[in-house]
Amino acid sequence: MAFDIDHYAETSDGVGWADLDFESFAEQPLPEMTLRTLRYMCNVEYHTVCYLRDLLMTPSHKERDVNAFMTMWNREEFWHGEALADVLGRHGITVDYDELKASRVKLEWRDKLGPLRQSILGNIVGADYIAVHMSWGAANEWTAVAAYRRLAALEQHPALSPLLRRIAQQETKHVAFYATQARNRLEKSKLARKLTRLALAKAWEPVGSSISEPDEVQHVMRHLFDSEDGMAEVRRIDANIAKLPGMEGLTILETALRKGGVAA
Amino acid sequence: MSRSQGPTPAAAFDLRDFTRTARGSHRDRLDLASYAARPLDCDTLNLVRLLARLERGALSQLRSVLVTPTHSDARMTAFLVTWAYEKFWLADALEAISEAHPAPTATMPTPLARRLRHAWQALGERLEPIRESVVSNLIGEDVVAVHCLAGTLDEWLVQAAYQRLAETTSHDDLARTLDELREVKRRHLEFFESQAGQRLAASPSAARLARRRLPRTGFPLGSSEEPPEALARLLDGLLTAADLRAIDRRLDSYPGLAGLGLATAAGARAARRPDSPSKGDLRP
Repeated sequence: MAFDIDHYAETSDGVGWADLDFESFAEQPLPEMTLRTLRYMCNVEYHTVCYLRDLLMTPSHKERDVNAFMTMWNREEFWHGEALADVLGRHGITVDYDELKASRVKLEWRDKLGPLRQSILGNIVGADYIAVHMSWGAANEWTAVAAYRRLAALEQHPALSPLLRRIAQQETKHVAFYATQARNRLEKSKLARKLTRLALAKAWEPVGSSISEPDEVQHVMRHLFDSEDGMAEVRRIDANIAKLPGMEGLTILETALRKGGVAA
Repeated sequence: MSRSQGPTPAAAFDLRDFTRTARGSHRDRLDLASYAARPLDCDTLNLVRLLARLERGALSQLRSVLVTPTHSDARMTAFLVTWAYEKFWLADALEAISEAHPAPTATMPTPLARRLRHAWQALGERLEPIRESVVSNLIGEDVVAVHCLAGTLDEWLVQAAYQRLAETTSHDDLARTLDELREVKRRHLEFFESQAGQRLAASPSAARLARRRLPRTGFPLGSSEEPPEALARLLDGLLTAADLRAIDRRLDSYPGLAGLGLATAAGARAARRPDSPSKGDLRP
């Protein structure tokens, strides 16, 4: 499946929500556990720029398609953050620049080492390391699509559910880019397949784990996936990841959830 | 050339409005057929291509900036996300104009000295984020002010080039497009200027850091990989010594930054090196 980067760039836009009836949150406010999950999702979206930073440490950004995608992707994710912040704002939860800065500063040391580690790895292993990033990105985006769709289905809210479906729709384009890139790069190199399998099997955690308290990660995973429908979704994501060249048999999301005490 | 005197008050910049009203593709405003009817001369076309490459360097600049404490500042990142998006489309517009002309003819083989320089720069570029992530994280917040000042100076130089090119070209459509693109860049400058002014006022040590770091930065940002003759045409031809001095005077008006002469130095460097080795593009 080819990814048409020109079409993607031309049509890329911030997610819109002006037409949705956000006044409905006054009469039908969201329950506490949903707000907690949304807070997590909002943080993850705003932090995309930090993931971008790690991606930029590899030489991949100089490739035209990757450059175009990263620019658009980063902005779309920023707008997901803005949209979710607006929903939270309707419930008296403020997510502003200062608060975001405070949470980024809190991550301090772990975070400061991030680019250093990425840069050294990226430069030593070179092009094959890009395959790791692309596969990692695909796994994250698949999880994000599933998470938004699950929450939309769980809530059935007249404003929230359509918003989450719109966000999920944009995330499916991100999946297409990452999966196409990952597949192409994995097919070409045995070392890339080995490195990627090792990274996903040993180091992958649900998106947001590195920027959130463990309790919050567990809450979100339990909220979204700890049910029969939820686990069916989890297995579908794992099956998608396992279809990437060299990733046969991996069940990284289910494994991560079991480790976190979800879906025992 | 518009000459604002010194730092602008920070309150002047509406970041939320900027993120909401970002400008995307300019293609529907380009009259590409006009270039088929009246192609640009070779010199102008080379300048358009150079400006396109400079705009295209946004992600490389982000790479250097995001490993520093600047990445924690959510105002800076909200701006940079949108800035990178707008610059993507500025480059796209200039590339579309370039592509409306026959592709550049094959160039002469690159001389060995230049190839060695490029290899050295490529190595430097790979190592730079490693060095930068260690050094800047030790320095802390002041580095954000230096990034904003570098962005300011870069915008002054590049916007002056847009303006000069629009004034001197005989191609009306190019002049109109350059003016429209400069309008997009105006808000980038406004943000960098207001942030730089505010941060310098808040931290006296930021100016000292800027004095040390800015002279080691290649201006315009991202120009280290450019052929010397292209830079010479930009900084010692299209822009005159008087233009560069005027830009330096604007930097002089910031507290603690008088007398750096960075634009003039960039011009002098470009003028004297048809093919001399450079120190590379050391970003602040």
